[in-house]
Amino acid sequence: MQLYLPIAELPLNLFLLLGMGGAIGFISGLFGVGGGFLLTPLLIFVGVPAPVAVASSSVHIAASSVTGTLNYWRRGALDVKLGIVLVIGGLAGTLFGVLFFNQMRRLGHLDLVITLSYVTLLMSVGCLMFVESIGSMLSRRRAGKPVPLRQAGEHRWYERLPFPMRFHRSKMSTSVLPLLALGAVIGFIGTVLGIGGGFLVVPALIYFFRIPTSVVVGTSLFQIVATMLVATWLHATISQAVDLLLALTLVVGGVIGAQFGARTGQTLKGEQFRLLLALLILIVGVRFAFDIVGQPNDLYSISASEVER
Amino acid sequence: MSRRASRRLRHQGLLLAALLAALLPGAGRAEELVLALSTREVAITSTYTGAEITVFGLIERDARTIARSGNYDVVANVQGPQGDVVVHRKGRFGPIWLTDQRRRYMRIPLFFSLLTARPLHEITDEAVRERLKLGLEYFLPDAARVSDAQGGSEFGFRNALLRLRREEGAVTQNERAVTMIRPNLFTATIQLPAKAPTGLYLVNISVLSEGVPLKTAQAGFVVRKVGFDAFVANAARNEAWAYALFSVAMAILLGWIANIAFRRD
Repeated sequence: MQLYLPIAELPLNLFLLLGMGGAIGFISGLFGVGGGFLLTPLLIFVGVPAPVAVASSSVHIAASSVTGTLNYWRRGALDVKLGIVLVIGGLAGTLFGVLFFNQMRRLGHLDLVITLSYVTLLMSVGCLMFVESIGSMLSRRRAGKPVPLRQAGEHRWYERLPFPMRFHRSKMSTSVLPLLALGAVIGFIGTVLGIGGGFLVVPALIYFFRIPTSVVVGTSLFQIVATMLVATWLHATISQAVDLLLALTLVVGGVIGAQFGARTGQTLKGEQFRLLLALLILIVGVRFAFDIVGQPNDLYSISASEVER
Repeated sequence: MSRRASRRLRHQGLLLAALLAALLPGAGRAEELVLALSTREVAITSTYTGAEITVFGLIERDARTIARSGNYDVVANVQGPQGDVVVHRKGRFGPIWLTDQRRRYMRIPLFFSLLTARPLHEITDEAVRERLKLGLEYFLPDAARVSDAQGGSEFGFRNALLRLRREEGAVTQNERAVTMIRPNLFTATIQLPAKAPTGLYLVNISVLSEGVPLKTAQAGFVVRKVGFDAFVANAARNEAWAYALFSVAMAILLGWIANIAFRRD
């Protein structure tokens, strides 16, 4: 069944959109990532103009994250305090990201910087997680019980910096500074690369702060809700590229998918979760690398009006 | 489909009657061209997947009109609303390929279609084609300004623009879209793709005989969103704050509803 989208200005199959929203929603609820880094390219692939794809994805990400967050919150797997600290850091990072973005655009090397950093980031994070989770699975098989990422009472140097704070839900106490810095880095990268950054928050919280996986996913989703509601607002008022009909169909699929994703997430073991997330990140990285390595079939491409970044 | 076809037939019948009525003897002059369109307005609704518009044309002649040994040829040129299109070109940076050159073409037709009954080069020679701008290569208006030019040859960019617009279906050529019902009566069928932009479309019809252009006439139609689609598009532009609020509220509300609906405990 074809549905004409008033802002994207083309008809698309209703069930295709519901399915896409559902699949990405499932991944979002399962891994605590927004899924924009998957959904936006998919929408562009089926013909939606890039600005509309980005803006309408933000509504889908917000909705899937809301439903996922509520799910984790009801299970007590959400650290609101930690989430708020990350959001505050993220705001500062976003500001720097916007400044950097404009500076680089003036210099004209933005394409190269963005593309290279994106691929490098995805590949290295993916590889590190892949190796770690495989190792962890092997040692569990040898030891017969899960190997904790954190030894009791152990604190790394950055956790002993000034301004300590206790996070009961995350079962840790640490200085606020590294958490604010993490939020800022995620906000910065997210703004420059045009991605939500959830798939960077999750590994960082697991590996640097050794927080239980389920709490990490819930808290990451909480942070994404805040970011994406603001993003939706800005897209709708500034670029006016939010297609409500497109967003609605994606959201309906997305919230249902996110529910199943969040439920599935509860049944996974820590290292299984990390292995699957590593594979997901690697797949995206490889796909992106294929785009830029080797001579393209067609050197030319066209876009309507707006100059692409 | 059959409803559409029967409606078209009815249209055709009415228009034929009107055209035949116009076949009254006139003063001694060259051929006249009378045009009628099957519709003046294409309405885009939620179920829109493209449209078909038929142009009906009558080449009027009387006893005093110069006798012609050859048949008439009809060329229809449809141009949609104008807009800017950016062409990007990838360049090499070591092992990777990234966009390094781009050209912005200002105010070019976002839809361009050329309809004939037989190949253009059989209808007339190159000099006439160039003068009347008959040919896909003339889809870029002379006045198309180029901005944001960064390196690269203009020729390569123009070729790529034409080729890619053709692949998208925004620039088309159909050598079977014009049907000569009688030697002086014809129809031209315009296929509007689903992605055709909204706005004013101009139809230019040229009549030629043995390669000599005789007469040109124009007609137009409008493509616009109606009903719910028009409401959404207007709200997004004119009520941006309310639209933004609604988008945010929809995300929260549907997320919350799904959470309750799937609640197990």
